[in-house]
Amino acid sequence: MAQRRISGGKLFITGEMCTATDGERAVPVNDLLDRASQRSDKMHSLSTLLTQEMDSHFPPYGRMQMPRPADCHTSALQTPNDKEQALQVSESDLMSLARSLLQAWVDPLAVLSTSAITLPHPSKSSISSKIQELQEHSKSLADGLDILSGKMGPSAQAISFLPYTGGTDLGQDRVTILNKFNFLLSCLRRDSHKIDSFLKVLRCRAAKLQPELC
Amino acid sequence: MYNARMRTHLGLVILCVLSAARVCSSTSAPESPRKFDCRSREKETFSCWWEPGSDGGLPTEYRLFYTQERLREVRECPDYVSAGANSCFFDKKHTSIWAEYTMTVVATNALGNASEEFRITDVMEYVKPDPPVNVTVVVNSSAPSPFLEIRWKSPPDVDVRTGWVTLKYELRVKQNDSKEWKTVDIGSETFFNFYNVYPGLLYMAQVRCKLDHGKWSEWSNTIFAEIPKNHQVEKYFWIFVFVFSLIPLLMGIYILLLKRNVVKQCLLPPVPGPKIKGLNAHLLKSGRSEDVVNALMGNQNFPPVAAWTEQVEDFLLVSDSDEWLLTDSFASEKNKDIFIIPAGLHLGLEIQCRDLSVDLNTWEKTDDSKEEAKSNFLNMEPINLPVEKHEFLNGEEMSIQPLANTSYVDIQQHPTLTDYSRVKEVNDNTILILNEEEIPHGLDAEEVKSEVSVPDDYSRVKEVNSDVVFLEKGDSADGCCKKKEDHYTDWTNQKPIMPLESELSKGFCLKMIASGYVDSGPAFSVK
Repeated sequence: MAQRRISGGKLFITGEMCTATDGERAVPVNDLLDRASQRSDKMHSLSTLLTQEMDSHFPPYGRMQMPRPADCHTSALQTPNDKEQALQVSESDLMSLARSLLQAWVDPLAVLSTSAITLPHPSKSSISSKIQELQEHSKSLADGLDILSGKMGPSAQAISFLPYTGGTDLGQDRVTILNKFNFLLSCLRRDSHKIDSFLKVLRCRAAKLQPELC
Repeated sequence: MYNARMRTHLGLVILCVLSAARVCSSTSAPESPRKFDCRSREKETFSCWWEPGSDGGLPTEYRLFYTQERLREVRECPDYVSAGANSCFFDKKHTSIWAEYTMTVVATNALGNASEEFRITDVMEYVKPDPPVNVTVVVNSSAPSPFLEIRWKSPPDVDVRTGWVTLKYELRVKQNDSKEWKTVDIGSETFFNFYNVYPGLLYMAQVRCKLDHGKWSEWSNTIFAEIPKNHQVEKYFWIFVFVFSLIPLLMGIYILLLKRNVVKQCLLPPVPGPKIKGLNAHLLKSGRSEDVVNALMGNQNFPPVAAWTEQVEDFLLVSDSDEWLLTDSFASEKNKDIFIIPAGLHLGLEIQCRDLSVDLNTWEKTDDSKEEAKSNFLNMEPINLPVEKHEFLNGEEMSIQPLANTSYVDIQQHPTLTDYSRVKEVNDNTILILNEEEIPHGLDAEEVKSEVSVPDDYSRVKEVNSDVVFLEKGDSADGCCKKKEDHYTDWTNQKPIMPLESELSKGFCLKMIASGYVDSGPAFSVK
């Protein structure tokens, strides 16, 4: 498990990073961050709706029996857990964290997508379409963050490896399948919220002259 | 002794046990608390509340212990007070987002304790901000239509400056007397211009917010705003309506003016008046009594009146009383025939006597001043003539026409003049006009005179067909102005002598009369 330390102090994005490089068409960093934040916001919204849709019909576990969030495959990644901590993390680290989390969900989303088609749930079609939408947003956001991290330096481009070990099969019986599905969705909701929060902090920090973006 | 003491002790013990048992049955260890709920207002702190169970009749103490994900140690609630009774408040230092909390609430009293475990998977599940504050609504009355400027501020404890928190708002507006709200998703702005408002109505507005896709806050305070009535718009509207309704009105008046004749025909149709054959109302109006007389007596076959001045006058003394005859002074001087006419004989004839008015006066005044040749002896009875004028004729042939109410007899001489042409044949329905050689009865003596001197340029009407109608009143217009082409030649006399006119053909015929010319155009055909 990769351990990332939260480095103190603040790094600022130099002017060099803010401008176009390598003759590419210049898109301002603020604009890229804004677009990235909108995508992550959409992802978080979708994952929240998914969990609500699942719970509305079939809360499988009691509160004590449900798998703990510590069991999420991304729980090893150390992330800031409050505002003070988040404001102290450097932009590169924040970017790195966001990218790592995003990368960690590529495989599980694929598993969820295939499982949703045969999910023993009355709203499975709606769930399935939302998961597909999530996949598209995730892919697009990953591409955008790749470009952004390229402007921010090497530390921003480092990605922690967080493999998913749950396998492609969620279970055999209906209850197991549904519980696993529920658990994965709750982990997804937490991680998508982290990504969203980090990117929005980045966006606000980068747009010092535009406080309305915060 | 032994037994008594033993029994007493035993009784006391039993009493104690019993009393103790009684105490134990009314108090007990507390029940475990139930219903655990938490809330975070700003994603930085959070509070939790529990509902205590039965306290067992004894004062019970509640304590909360929690562990965090990844933290091995067990901590106790840092603040039992700030959030109220049976609560625990976690400040910023003790709040971790995305971390799982395991809460254990322990109720303890003298007899025991009870506990319950609650799990908080993610504090974010319990995020519910306060409603927005400082909601203001301003009516903007600028053109073209008024709208509401609604502004608000984020809840005071939410930090929106760092990007850590994303607030989204929702606005709803409704009319005061309506039941349906109109809801608008705002995004992150703190103002909105609401355009769907109408003048004169009262509106109410509310705003709420949510944090990071969490739960919605409560609705803010209701703000009221009234749109003032736009009198200027109403005024312009009514001016516009007024002008537009004037246009067809003016057009209608203009059309009416153009076609006023037609309208007059419609609204005020000419009332047919009584028609007397041969009588023209216009003639009556114009006041030429000789025309009237002509009209009334046009059917009579009156011989033309001869100019009396050139004639030797023979006067007849006429009286209806014998006394008159007996006076020798008169009778002997004259060689006249005396006609006695009974007074009851009335002839509705009028006699024109214009020219002789002077002479009449002279007769009345003195008898002696007159010459015998020209003197007229009148009856001594007062003269009651139906008309002012008399005609005195003289001639060899005389026809006697007694006057109504008078004892005078009009003596007419039969026509002997050759200067005047005669109408040989006059139909009842026709009156020939424009034949100035014909002397109708109503002609003046002067006119007669003047016509005597008419040169021979005048042609004479040789024949008047019965179908020829000349300006006859009452007949159809077809009959008007028909003439024989062959028999009419140009007239040079300009004098219009027509007593009768047909209204329908008045214009046309008058025109011909005025010019004295007879239109010999093809429009006329004479049978």
